[in-house]
Amino acid sequence: MTPPAPASVKTRPAGTGTGPGGALARLGPGGGAALRGLAGLAALVAVLEVLPHTGLVSADYLPPASETGRTLWHLLAEGAFWTALGDTLTGWGLGLAIAVVGGVVAGVAIGSVPVLRAATASTIEFLRPIPSVALIPVAVLLYGTDLRSVLLLVVYASFWQVLVQVLAGIHDVDPVAEDTARSYLLGGWGRMRYVMWPTALPYVMTGVRLASTVALVLAITAELVIGAPGLGREIAVAQTSGAVPRVYALVLVTGLLGVAVNLLARAVERRALHWHPSARREG
Amino acid sequence: MRRRILGLVIAVVTVAGVAGCGSSSAGSDGSSSSEASGGSGTSQVKVGIIPIVDVAPLYLGQKKGFFSSRGIELKMESAQGGAAIIPGVVSGQFQFGFSNTTSLMLAQTQGVPIKSVVNGVASTGDTSADVSGVGVKKDSPIKSVKDLAGKTVAVNTLKNIGETTVRESVRQDGGDPSKVKFVELAFDQMPAALDAGQVDAAWMGEPALTIAKSQGARIVASPFAETDPSLTLATYFTTTKLAQDDPDLVKRFTEAMTESLEYASAHPEEARQTLTSYTKIDGDVLKDLTLPKWPTQVDMPSLEKLASLGEQDGIFGDRKPDLDALFS
Repeated sequence: MTPPAPASVKTRPAGTGTGPGGALARLGPGGGAALRGLAGLAALVAVLEVLPHTGLVSADYLPPASETGRTLWHLLAEGAFWTALGDTLTGWGLGLAIAVVGGVVAGVAIGSVPVLRAATASTIEFLRPIPSVALIPVAVLLYGTDLRSVLLLVVYASFWQVLVQVLAGIHDVDPVAEDTARSYLLGGWGRMRYVMWPTALPYVMTGVRLASTVALVLAITAELVIGAPGLGREIAVAQTSGAVPRVYALVLVTGLLGVAVNLLARAVERRALHWHPSARREG
Repeated sequence: MRRRILGLVIAVVTVAGVAGCGSSSAGSDGSSSSEASGGSGTSQVKVGIIPIVDVAPLYLGQKKGFFSSRGIELKMESAQGGAAIIPGVVSGQFQFGFSNTTSLMLAQTQGVPIKSVVNGVASTGDTSADVSGVGVKKDSPIKSVKDLAGKTVAVNTLKNIGETTVRESVRQDGGDPSKVKFVELAFDQMPAALDAGQVDAAWMGEPALTIAKSQGARIVASPFAETDPSLTLATYFTTTKLAQDDPDLVKRFTEAMTESLEYASAHPEEARQTLTSYTKIDGDVLKDLTLPKWPTQVDMPSLEKLASLGEQDGIFGDRKPDLDALFS
């Protein structure tokens, strides 16, 4: 069964197409664009390879790309590396899941009750900009250096991304569609399922995509600063040991992880919104 | 950044301590989990450490079974700096922690309920080969440590042991310590910052010190050894509450740690090799870096000296650390 056309499809929600993945998205399905993207990447690698040899930067602090690549290759053979990667992904995935579920539930609850919405608006605007990193002392005090500390930071940062989008989505519901649904005697659940949810879904997906990137950044930051197990801590240990190529190799891994997370989030978004005009236009 | 976090931590810890909010129940959690772990009397003990050269005896002692023979199942929680260790210990997430002595004094003057239980690490006392040093570029006009007056010196944490001991070195050399400008930089970034001329000098610990030397940096001062040849740099600590509630655990930990310190002092090469198990320091640096001294006792006169330097530089505010309560 196909969901009914959304009541309001005027615009794509705010934030769509922006963010770190924007450039990648613009590559689109066109092979030419993808090729140009790869060429850009190759040029970057070439510059990184040549730069240390020119003496502009010392190879001690910026190892040539080939050395970083070699270190990365050795890294892949280490069991500890895969454990760290697993730890990071666990913190990211769990944190994101909690934030998405919490954000959607809270968003729907707050968004559909006008009084609640008015009462919480200023509180949300106050809490939202607090940088998650500022909560590090609290996290350590409560949970030490284990996964829960990471989760606290990840959930705090990504929860707002989802919540705010859900609220915007619910706000966007077309009153005419809402009234029409009422005239057809749709109940509360029916209106939620057939009117509110299709309108809000594109917003929710945008929230999820933004949150997935933020969650990764925060998971790694938490490991780096607090020392919770994961890629971030591996970077910190390599840093304090003066193992420069290892630091770059690990940073490269986190970068690739970011790209992967973004591609995944986009794929999920496309799948969930395949019926939506914005997705149809893209495809 | 790290210092700002430490400031926040101290604020949070102080509030938590004063309000007594839940941290005490979390504190007893650690010992109750040990009972749950079996009737064999083995306690699971978490130690908050920074993965640096100084804690090699702890890892070595664990490998040698000095802790397990005393019924302690040791788990190292490697944190990034004291910012995570002190609150971790105070809230009972870790039973013990490793911290430099100035930070301990600072925490104590701010009302954080902690107590040192066993010595951690000390200066080599050798002004030509110590575990920290002030490095300058090979061709720097700074010839002697008194020339640092009016210059920018990088330290890993402002208003801490690096700053007070560098000032003392300048003072002893006849320079004006109040004219030294300190900036905060992580140890690992110092060799590069020095090389690029972003700072005139850098106070570095190992392995950054050895890395900088291998890149041609010149060492103009060894602030620890110059402050006091037997300066106690860091110790292992716990909360005053755990020390009171579970003196047996503290005693066993202290004994095991003492044996580890003795063993590490007697087998420095083994201690050096231990570094490969928890750091990523590579071959040449590993071979060349200076190991600290690991005496079993703290050196009270040196701590008094360190405390008075801190008071002189105003890092404890208008308070005075109570060294007897903290270290004995």
